[in-house]
Amino acid sequence: MLFLLTVIIFGLAQAAPGDPFTANIDPSVDPEVYEQQREKYGLNDSLPKQYISWLGNFVTGDFGESIHYKGRSVKDVISVRITNTVYLSLFALIITILFAIPIGLYSARNPYSWFDYTATTFGFLGLSIPGFFFGLVSIYIFALNLGWFPSQGSVSVSVSGQTGITLFLDRLHHLVLPGFTLGLAGIATYMRYVRTEVSDVLKSDYVRTARAKGMSESSVLYKHTLRNALIPIVTLLGFELGVLLSGAVITEQVFNYPGLGTLFVDSITNRDYPVIMAINLLLGTTIMVGNLVADILYSIVDPRIRYD
Amino acid sequence: MKRLLLLLSVFIASAVLVACGGDGTGEPAAGTDDNEDVGEPQDGGSVTGTLKEAPGGVFNPIFYTDMYEEKLLELTHEGLVVQNEELDFDALLAKDWEINEEQTEVTFELEEDVTWHDGEPFTADDVVFTYQTLMDPAYTSSGGLRTIFVEPLLNYEAYKDGETEEYEAVVAEDDYTVTFKFDEPNPNLLYFASFPIIPEHVFESVPIEEMTESTYSLDPEEVVGTGPFEFSSMVERESYEMEKYEDYWQGEPHLDKIVWKVVDESVQVGLLESGDLDFIASPSDIPEGDLEDVEMNDDINVIKQTDFTVQVLGFKLNHRTSSDVQNNVIDPENWEENEKVANQKVRQAIAHAVNRQGIIDGLNFGVGELVETPIPQQFEAHNSEDANQYPFDPEKAEEILDEEGYVDVTGDGFREDPDGNEWVLNFNYSSKGKHERTGPIIAEQLEDVGIKVNARQPKEFSAFLEDIEKDNSDWDLYLIGWGLNHRDPDPSEVWSIKTPYNYARWNNEEADDLLKKAMHGEEAFDEDFREDVYTEWQQEFSKDLPEIILYAEESLWAHNKRLQGIDPLPYTMYHNAHLWWVND
Repeated sequence: MLFLLTVIIFGLAQAAPGDPFTANIDPSVDPEVYEQQREKYGLNDSLPKQYISWLGNFVTGDFGESIHYKGRSVKDVISVRITNTVYLSLFALIITILFAIPIGLYSARNPYSWFDYTATTFGFLGLSIPGFFFGLVSIYIFALNLGWFPSQGSVSVSVSGQTGITLFLDRLHHLVLPGFTLGLAGIATYMRYVRTEVSDVLKSDYVRTARAKGMSESSVLYKHTLRNALIPIVTLLGFELGVLLSGAVITEQVFNYPGLGTLFVDSITNRDYPVIMAINLLLGTTIMVGNLVADILYSIVDPRIRYD
Repeated sequence: MKRLLLLLSVFIASAVLVACGGDGTGEPAAGTDDNEDVGEPQDGGSVTGTLKEAPGGVFNPIFYTDMYEEKLLELTHEGLVVQNEELDFDALLAKDWEINEEQTEVTFELEEDVTWHDGEPFTADDVVFTYQTLMDPAYTSSGGLRTIFVEPLLNYEAYKDGETEEYEAVVAEDDYTVTFKFDEPNPNLLYFASFPIIPEHVFESVPIEEMTESTYSLDPEEVVGTGPFEFSSMVERESYEMEKYEDYWQGEPHLDKIVWKVVDESVQVGLLESGDLDFIASPSDIPEGDLEDVEMNDDINVIKQTDFTVQVLGFKLNHRTSSDVQNNVIDPENWEENEKVANQKVRQAIAHAVNRQGIIDGLNFGVGELVETPIPQQFEAHNSEDANQYPFDPEKAEEILDEEGYVDVTGDGFREDPDGNEWVLNFNYSSKGKHERTGPIIAEQLEDVGIKVNARQPKEFSAFLEDIEKDNSDWDLYLIGWGLNHRDPDPSEVWSIKTPYNYARWNNEEADDLLKKAMHGEEAFDEDFREDVYTEWQQEFSKDLPEIILYAEESLWAHNKRLQGIDPLPYTMYHNAHLWWVND
């Protein structure tokens, strides 16, 4: 699977017209100099040769050297950014869970109430508003007009060099807008899932039985209903991890959040092949691992499922 | 030589202080607030500037690759000489110089009390070291691109190829005297001495191959220059902080700090208006559409001046053969003439058919200047007046086309060529900047005079560039933006026959000879002579029209009025930054 991914990624990256040097062309520079650089990075070799040398290095953990970020290894360039993206994705995931489950649950218990209708309306809005647009609107309202949150970056200049709680709070402060923007679609989707699943389960026989046994409503809701209703949702959350990482591309761009997404876009513009391919593989791997995790979680939340 | 940046057309630079515009209150917008009583400069305070994209991160003037790195380095590093408002070279690290009679040597006397950010004295050895590095055989193979500054120096080829170990191009006579020697007489010697100097004592222990990986290039705290500000810290891709260098040789800077934030273009203006940003200047710009808004703001001062970028509509006059493209050969002998646009009169008709002022007004909110020739207006050598003029005149365009035999014989509303064959011009442009919107407008205007245009799907800029270079294709028309050299008016980097950037493949020997005449020979040392030759060249250019200059861009910079002492030059706002101050 991963092998196939490497072929596709390599092929697509090479198929894009231009190369790292056409993107930044400068007539004051002797074309020979560019040619020398191409030679140095092996861009003039045949494709299979380039692929094999890249794959060979990759397998041994050597992701190569970035062409745009001169003098830095791909590993170095990516590892700086990936922590930021992980923070952002986790934050968005937590927001998604924190909002989607209670809202979905409440809607399911009080179907067709004004709350349910409002939630449904917002759900559809959330699904249909593109992330970048919501991002820009939230910057306009919460950053420019109200000034509550910073609109750009992941940390203030003033706290650079500091550690501990100040740094943490500052980072959190910077995460709010991009986090909500990224989490918005998730909240809308999962809210709907939770509502549907919970109301299905609520109508099931065993819930009726549980109620008939005289169990407390909260016990029925949390022990019997929620646990069963969450099974399909956990699977989806596994996928979500990969989606969040890749979905962060646009959100990060709008908020100038220095994560994997902005790096990805910059690298594509600069045709920084080694970085593009490494990020692609990373995203691909994350989605695969996400699925695996989902399968494992599945068996934990649902003891009926066992893999032999 | 002649440094041109093939522009990502979105960027604008600057020029002659055409103090036009003016903000809402009617005071001149360009330059400083001379006519406002702002009091005496105060010490202290910090200002925040913006970059719309993150710099690549190599903070070394000899190895930087992008314009964000370049701009930041303007505050931290200095050259021997620097261009002034008239684009002549003034003293900076060199206080005086003497040029020999043959125009082959220039001897600089250096300022003596200059120190590097780490306290070491700046001497002639640093100058020698910088230029020796630029000429080193390992320089280009390590990713160095700035060889234009050393190419005309003595024995460049031999030294660069490792044929000689002896370095005699730049020689330190004593600690504060240094001589530059050239292979041939050159009319603009100072240009080559304007390169920023790097410290020998820092880099001498670093092999050239490792310079870009060295912490002295990558780690802000370790970057050492002679400029008024020194890097202090950065949060990569987010913010870059500079502190004043207290022992700066021209006097301690007023400001304590300059902070640079990477901010998305779409929110820059908002942050400027809310006071979170103090200035937006090159390589960033105020979007034309926001200009009126910003000008209305009483807290903000707008600087609007002519830029060094021109937007052009080009004709593929010749195509290279496939084998030449394959082998990377540029040999005019082999070129195949593109008959569809070979008639000079037809190109002139097309120039009359394009409503350039309309594009400036309609697409650019009136920002941009109409010029007929590509030498930047900021140079004395620019001469649009004596060139052919192409006012928007569709009737005249039709008249010319009729005369030349391009008439509609089939009755489909479009003209055929003089032989009665179908005549369709293929039109290619990229999706970069305004090209995507300019393209269809021009296509429509050409169809209005009966020229059938096949406007192709715009391509992403990199892809477009690759296509325009490999020109064994069926292209006839294209759009491109050129960021022109502000150090010298010589246009040969783009418009001489053999340069690869001559995308029109313009093969006009008369024009080419003029360009050579202006650069070589004793007469070329005379400025008036050079200007006359360039006037002649511009006339030839505007008559033969390999490219129609659509407009020259204007740079739109702005700063909060709390930031005082701004003294912009035609090509940068980061000038005399040690005199900047804030009145809080």
